[in-house]
Parts: sequence; C-alpha cells; structure tokens
Amino acid sequence: MSCAIWEERVALFAGGDLGTAEAAGVERHLSQCAACNALAADLRVELDGLRQVHAEPLAAEHYAAVRGRVLAELAKPPRQRAARAWAWAAALAAAAAAVLVVMMKPAAVPVPDVLRLVASAPAVERSRAQRAPRKGAVISTHVRRRRVRGAVPSAIEERKLEVAEVVTPPAPVPPAVEDPPVRMVQLATDDPNVVIYWLFEAKGEER
Amino acid sequence: MKVLALATVEAGDQPEGWDSVLAAARAGDRAAFDLLMRRHERLVLGTAYRLAGNLEDAQDASQEVFLRLYRNLAKLDSGNLAAWLYRVTVNVCHDARRRRPGTVPVDDAPELAAAGDDPQQSADEAERRALLLRSLRVLSEKERAALVLRDLEGLSTAEVAGVLGSSVGTVRSQISKARLKMRDFVERYSRRRL
Repeated sequence: MSCAIWEERVALFAGGDLGTAEAAGVERHLSQCAACNALAADLRVELDGLRQVHAEPLAAEHYAAVRGRVLAELAKPPRQRAARAWAWAAALAAAAAAVLVVMMKPAAVPVPDVLRLVASAPAVERSRAQRAPRKGAVISTHVRRRRVRGAVPSAIEERKLEVAEVVTPPAPVPPAVEDPPVRMVQLATDDPNVVIYWLFEAKGEER
Repeated sequence: MKVLALATVEAGDQPEGWDSVLAAARAGDRAAFDLLMRRHERLVLGTAYRLAGNLEDAQDASQEVFLRLYRNLAKLDSGNLAAWLYRVTVNVCHDARRRRPGTVPVDDAPELAAAGDDPQQSADEAERRALLLRSLRVLSEKERAALVLRDLEGLSTAEVAGVLGSSVGTVRSQISKARLKMRDFVERYSRRRL
C-alpha cells in the first residue's frame, strides 16, 4: 500500500513534471518507501510502453485516406461545400432568435399604488376562520415590484388592496368526498392582462 | 507545382520555408495545402486516434480538423499552427464524443502488435499494448486529453494548459490523476489474469 499523500507527487515525478526541489523531496521519500518506489517504477514502465505504442506511425494508407477525403471535399463546388457551413449558421441563427425572443419579453408592468380587488365568495359556506373579504374592505398585502431588466430589484413593498366586488357563485354542489373546501380570491390589477387568483384549502373548517 | 516542391524541400523544418507554403495554401494552392496536411497529419490523426479510441472516428475528426484549417488559413502562421491544430483536434474529438454518447468501439491496435520470433512473446507484447491503450478508456475526457498531449505528444505542461485553455495547476492535477488511474487499471487487470 503506497502513501496516499505522496501518490500524486510520485505520479508527476514519474513523468518528469516536478521542479528540482519537489523532485528531490520525492526522491528522498522513495528512498524510504518501498510502496511508492514500486508505484514510481510501474508508472515509468507504463508510460514508456504507451509512448512506444503511440510513437509507431499508423499505416500510410490511413493518412492518405484522410488527405483524400479532405481534398475531395475541397474540390466540391463552393456552394455544395458551403451547405454544411450554412446548416451550422442556420442552427446558430435559430438559437440566437430564441434567445432574443426570451429577452424581448414585454417590459415589466409597474404595480399600481392601489389595486382593485375582486373577491369571490367561498364555494361552500363560510366559516368564522375563513371569511371572504367584504366589498369596500381594504386589505394590506406585500408586493414585490416586478424586476425591470437591468435594474436593481426593489424590496418587498406593502400595498393596500381595496375589495371592489364580491361575486357570489352559483350554489355549490356538495362534495362527494370529505375533501377540504377550496376557496378562491381573484385579484384584478389596473393592467387588464394581469389577474391574480388565490386558491386555498380551508382545512379544519366546521361544516 | 515544381516551384512549390522546391520550396518544400528547402523548407525542411525552417519556419520561413513553411511560411511560404502556408502563403501558397492561403492563396488557394491545393498542392501547398496537401503539403501542410502531410506535415501535420501525424500530429492530427495520431492525437485524434488516442482521444477517439478508434481509427474510424479519428479519421472523421482529422478530416474535420483539416477542413477547419483550410477555412482558417488566413488567421494562422507557421509559428502557432501546431498549437492551433492540437486545440482544434481536441475540440473536434470532444464534440464528436458528445454527439455520440455511449459505447465507443476501441481498437486494440492489432496492426501495432509486435512482430517477434517467439509467438508467445509476441502475443504477450500485443496484449500489453492493447491493455495500455485500453487503460486510456478509464480516463475522463479532460484527463485523457491532458495525458495524451503531455505524455504521448510530449508537450510541456504549460503548452498543454494553453491548448486545453486550463491553468498549469489544473493540468498537473489531471495528468497525475490520469497516470494513477491508468496504473490502477493495468494493475487490476494483471491481478485478475494471474
């Protein structure tokens, strides 16, 4: 078993990759450690063997085949040769377009100071614990301003939301199983494209 | 063509001579480009063979390297050509490997089997060579590139770092790990054979 802490240095030493001072340190260690000495000897033999195998040239026909293929490719009309390059260019252009589309998303919509809140009545009978907001009520909430590209993200801000309307949905169908009732609150912002739905389960509610 | 052949003979290993060959290739002289390929084919195909592990993939990679060389002749001079070829060869081999993940057939280099008088000795030698080449398979892509460039192609650690775009420290670490893994593989295989 060789010394684990010396192994990497011995491996570098065997390939002649250590400076004079480091090599001298390894040599001192090798003179005292038979396992590391054997490791260094094995590494030298294996590296020498690999170098010998690699140094023998391949058969001339293998080189000639490559040269022939390259020259044949170059002899093709430029248009045909360029087709391959164009394929790469097209792939790159498609990738660039995809990145551009992602980056060109509509600019961030600023959060208005006061949002109009539309809250639906609960799907099932309300409880004291999970009561839906009433019309005209003001709810305090925390809003993180949407990040505008290149700008430093702002901190979470507290906003007041006013309940504009309470919608009563049709009479609910009693649930077939004992699932907790699902509640929904719809938050409408000044931007007609932005509507926030808040779904929650009223667990542990009395029926 | 005659003039070019003379220039090549005179060029030898003189960089100035090869500059004129490079200039001719840049001007569209296919014979000059053929000479450039001949000069560097050992570097490109030999390195690709060790990185790819089989001759077919190595030849494909070499073809791509030389086509890239042709397209980039204007940017290169004889001084930086070898480093550029090493870098492109490594990149092309890595790209090919990523496109075709999975088992890569590895030649056991039968053509390199030593021809000796003693058949048993020849067989042992052939097996040893095949084992050493197979040991390259256990290395990661980066370790293998570092080991091939440093130990087989004989580049300095700094040159390997330049080719691979890594620091000298990283390359030293990759080389030492690669050597140890290779040695472990050979040792385990030899122990199993006993």
